[in-house]
Amino acid sequence: MRREEASAAAAAAAEAGTPRSPDLHDLSDDSDYAAAAAASSSHSAMRSDLVDQGSGETAKVDVVYEKERVTIHPTQYGSGRISGKLRLYLQQGSLFVSWEPNEGVDSSSSNSATMEIEKYRNLYTIKALPLSDVRFIRKHTPTFGFEYIIIVLSSGLAFPPFYFYNGGLRELFATLKKHVFIIRSDDDPNVFLVNDFQDPLQKSLSSLELPGVATVANAMSRQNSLSFTSSVDGARHGSDAKHGASSSMTEFVSKKNHSSNDPGRDLSIQVLEKFSLVTKFARDTTSSLFRENHSSSGRTYGRQQQEYVLDNRANDKYKDQQITPDKGSLLSDSMKSDKILAWGKPRGQPLSVDEWRSFLDPEGRVMDSKALREKVFYGGIDHVLRKEVWKFLLGYHEYDSTYAEREYLSVMKRTEYEAIKSQWKSISSTQAKRFTKFRERKGLIDKDVVRTDRSVPYYEGDDNQNVLVLRDILLTYSFYNFDLGYCQGMSDFLAPILYVMEDESESFWCFAILMERLGANFNRDQNGMHAQLLALSKLVELLDPQLHNYFQKNDCLNYFFCFRWVLIQFKREFSFDQIMLLWEVLWTHYWSEHFHLYLCVAILKRYRTRIIGEQMDFDTLLKFINELSGEINLDRAIQDAEALCEQAGPNGAACIPPGTPPSMPIETDGGLYVQEDEVM
Amino acid sequence: MAANAGHKIRNAKLVLLGDVGTGKSSLVLRFVKGQFVEFQESTIGAAFFSQTLAVNDETVKFEIWDTAGQERYHSLAPMYYRGAAAAIVVYDITNAASFTRAKKWVQELQAQGNPNTIMALAGNKADMVEARQVPAEEAKTYAQENGLFFMETSAKTAINVNDVFHEIAKRLLQGQQAQDTPAGMVLNQRPAERMVSSSSCCS
Repeated sequence: MRREEASAAAAAAAEAGTPRSPDLHDLSDDSDYAAAAAASSSHSAMRSDLVDQGSGETAKVDVVYEKERVTIHPTQYGSGRISGKLRLYLQQGSLFVSWEPNEGVDSSSSNSATMEIEKYRNLYTIKALPLSDVRFIRKHTPTFGFEYIIIVLSSGLAFPPFYFYNGGLRELFATLKKHVFIIRSDDDPNVFLVNDFQDPLQKSLSSLELPGVATVANAMSRQNSLSFTSSVDGARHGSDAKHGASSSMTEFVSKKNHSSNDPGRDLSIQVLEKFSLVTKFARDTTSSLFRENHSSSGRTYGRQQQEYVLDNRANDKYKDQQITPDKGSLLSDSMKSDKILAWGKPRGQPLSVDEWRSFLDPEGRVMDSKALREKVFYGGIDHVLRKEVWKFLLGYHEYDSTYAEREYLSVMKRTEYEAIKSQWKSISSTQAKRFTKFRERKGLIDKDVVRTDRSVPYYEGDDNQNVLVLRDILLTYSFYNFDLGYCQGMSDFLAPILYVMEDESESFWCFAILMERLGANFNRDQNGMHAQLLALSKLVELLDPQLHNYFQKNDCLNYFFCFRWVLIQFKREFSFDQIMLLWEVLWTHYWSEHFHLYLCVAILKRYRTRIIGEQMDFDTLLKFINELSGEINLDRAIQDAEALCEQAGPNGAACIPPGTPPSMPIETDGGLYVQEDEVM
Repeated sequence: MAANAGHKIRNAKLVLLGDVGTGKSSLVLRFVKGQFVEFQESTIGAAFFSQTLAVNDETVKFEIWDTAGQERYHSLAPMYYRGAAAAIVVYDITNAASFTRAKKWVQELQAQGNPNTIMALAGNKADMVEARQVPAEEAKTYAQENGLFFMETSAKTAINVNDVFHEIAKRLLQGQQAQDTPAGMVLNQRPAERMVSSSSCCS
């Protein structure tokens, strides 16, 4: 144990030596942090003292990890913090975790907060929690603020986040790895699944199932777990999209071998065989029925069941979910009641203020981001909430951030924005005369902002101040991302964002983060657009071979007639109100990061009879598509796209090459946005 | 401007090229729909319009490609000007840089495009003479030197807009007569004969 302690201490030292971003040091106005920083130098000595003490007093308890100033934030206010000591210890061969609050009140707590905090003290104390009761530990390493973990129990209960004021996260996981079986989730690299196997044989058997980490996760998702359910579906549309069909097939084959002794497997095969006989039409029907039958607990189940039906193969990835008899009967009931013959799930109501509140914990964290994204996908967001919720969807705020963290981020980012803005604000007219690139960019932006959404009241009229804000943000962005600069179409993206945010800095950052994903649309070599149009062509080939053949015969396979749809994500095709709805639906990435491509397929399919019947050539097609602006039924298009997405499954994801916008770009050393020899 | 029935209809592909915000889309919309909007949206990708024009007893059906002006989208341009029977290169008379850019388009068409393509140079926003940066004489001289015909236009007031298209149609048909093509030519594949003379239409 001594040796372990030494290596753990070395790990802690290494961690302390890791360069941190200056932003973290800006937390020095936080008295807790300042105290922690002061204490950290004497930390390791103090720690070993405690260990000696511990091992001396309780003979059979072996403390293998101990960290001071592991703090919980029971309220959203900075004052409401309880510092404590997190320990891992071995007792009779089993590992336990404990957390005990420090005696007395933190010096940082004001008197008024003291009473309230006291009541949490006992509530959150963990005396002895066996690791075998822990399902997973989720690690958070936010850019701003302290690292923390959330411990989720097998029962689905979760402890509040433990913030590590002294660091030590790596050390914690290193220690855990030594004593319990812990694996990183395939679906979320920040999630560590814990299984404290007593039986070494079981442990080794389980490790053979490594690709089936999702199995563990799925079992959990039925237990009303908090935030983890998202990973299963996210993986299907996220990582499958990246790895393509081949990897999922490998996974399928490898798991098939392990599941042969599964008593529920025979039943599941029977169910599958039954389903494989139904026609495509019936499949579509059952698809929608499954969705109709969703209860909150059976939601993921229903969707995955459809995959079986649609993929028509015995992939038992989710076998643990389909063998339960009650669910089997649900299936057959669905089959019998074939009353709904519709594509896609009907659109729902927008996320309301009350619903939104119910998604947040007392500190303002979104507890179940998957459910939130599902809600938004199916119904959009009440306009009054967009300002708040868009920041999560876009990724400006992390779902697990607190009110306080978000407020802090906002303040920091405002300062940063002003600094970037001052870069061009300080250019005098004399300097501008010698700065052609600046003049040209400014000229281009000036020309575009005055013709962006001017019919929307927010941007209407002469000398509209909001138009000037658009200008300032775009010019600032062209300095923030000088390589990419300004490109036509960007003002289309920004206008609704500014309209929603009504704040220059917040709009800038939301726009900037959107451009992280969509910047490649504006590259000079058009690589982002080519990748998407190619993927679109593959999707049409998969989902409507006849239409694909038609395009092929008529030299339309470059899909340039969809250029505008893809470049600015249908901005010009729908009204301002509709586009806000559509974008929030797309930004959920609920079914696919590339849902917009399925939407293209859905709309093309809606008009396929006319396209083929009228024998449209490329020119006519482009004219026809452009003139669809304002004519497309948005709700129906989304429903169709959802159904297509489902129908395509992993084969659809395999049509989309890795890094295709809006996937995050694959970084190279040469920079992401280098525009060679550009005139502008 | 209505299609003249009973005669052959000539199809002619026409492309508009020019710097950002010079008024390419506005010229087309004035010609095709007789409309003008002060804050015409920027063109994303390309737009396609068609309009027929009667010249004497013949009819030309223009298939008009309106393109995005930004240099960044330059790589898409060849797709639109390839096979064009006519091109209108547009600049803004109140913006000298747009005239420089127009010359680059002319060069590119001369180098890459079909030598028989009829090229027009349109100095748009002619209603804004008080803000003029490009003298008409300079543009006229340039046009003569490069075998283009030149007009100053205003999509806003409709000055010379139909005239540009009318002149192009006339020249297309003249070219066809000179070539003495027996049947209706397919201009978007084999453009009209080279213009024998190039002259300014703007005095």
